[in-house]
Amino acid sequence: MPLMIKLAVSFMLIGLGAYGGGMVTIPLIQHELVQNRQWLKFDEMGQILAIAQITPGPIAINAATFTGYRLSGVPGALLATAAVILPSLLILSVLTPWLEKFRRADGKVGKIRDGLQLGVLSLILFAIGSFGMGAIKSRTDMALAVMAFLGLIISERKLHPVMIILLCGMIGTFIF
Amino acid sequence: MIYEKNNSGHLLETVSKVSARSLFWTFFRIGLLTLGGGFAMMSVMRHELVIRKKWMKEKDFISTMALTAVVPGPIAVNLAFLLGKRLKGRSGCAAAVLGTVLPSFCVILLIAMALIRFFDHPKAVAFFKGCTVAIVGQLAFTGLIFSKKLLRGWRQCVICATGLITVGALRLHPICSVILTSVLGYWLLSPVRTSGEEGSDAAYD
Repeated sequence: MPLMIKLAVSFMLIGLGAYGGGMVTIPLIQHELVQNRQWLKFDEMGQILAIAQITPGPIAINAATFTGYRLSGVPGALLATAAVILPSLLILSVLTPWLEKFRRADGKVGKIRDGLQLGVLSLILFAIGSFGMGAIKSRTDMALAVMAFLGLIISERKLHPVMIILLCGMIGTFIF
Repeated sequence: MIYEKNNSGHLLETVSKVSARSLFWTFFRIGLLTLGGGFAMMSVMRHELVIRKKWMKEKDFISTMALTAVVPGPIAVNLAFLLGKRLKGRSGCAAAVLGTVLPSFCVILLIAMALIRFFDHPKAVAFFKGCTVAIVGQLAFTGLIFSKKLLRGWRQCVICATGLITVGALRLHPICSVILTSVLGYWLLSPVRTSGEEGSDAAYD
């Protein structure tokens, strides 16, 4: 199989398997690109994921653009990026009418919808724990995270959330 | 002008003023200003869509977010697709998705081409570490917002805790916990009423 086709297939698989956002996608990306295809070394993967965490946009897209570029330049980057979002675009274009109906449902279907929302909340709470354990290693880290949390609450509706993140980055250059 | 009716006959958002161009730029901002991925992006999306543009109410934001968990793929892209389609049909959908993807594509390309060697600089490492730690705070903030809206009684807390145990302690795939909480919701929650307090906008705003 030519490289470009392999690239497209791999990232379509990643896009298809990426349920529930970045935290779930990471092991999937790692498995496909490092173990299966051996396009990237483990260290390179770590670097990409670290970059993906702190650069704008979804992690899967960041990883796709980066890997695509590494393997075959700008065309590769374009192809991999398109491939990673293609499955969800296709699925959504079929399902959107039903999804919208489900979203506004009341009665029994509404109960399922409310349950689903609570499930998403449980995933968010889990993400705080799993991402937090990876990122917070000391009391200083913890203090900065709490500061960011309080800062976001205080500045809600007044300041763009990204300002708080950038401010913490700036503080980081002094304390780390 | 498009009016959509929900089941109870209430008119939902009026979308006459939203253009494809404005959808593109708003999602471009979201794509550009969301450091971190997945759920960490939610607070920025909420800021842009609910607070700044007022395109959706908090309630709609949370229910649309829940849909993005049913469909595979990046949360931000799924949200862009659904909202673009809702507000402006096919052109809105294309504009919103393109707007979301374009900034991260360009930034990563720039990094891969030229900037990657600067990432090892100690000051850069410290800056990014500060950002990463702050992203934990951002996730907690998102958790707080969702909790405030959704955990309205002990039944809700039990369902959410079950989901958390499924994914956290039992280490099952997130989709399992989402399916389980949906079933529990059907079983435990009281029926959603469209008039009255629960389930109406008044309960959320």
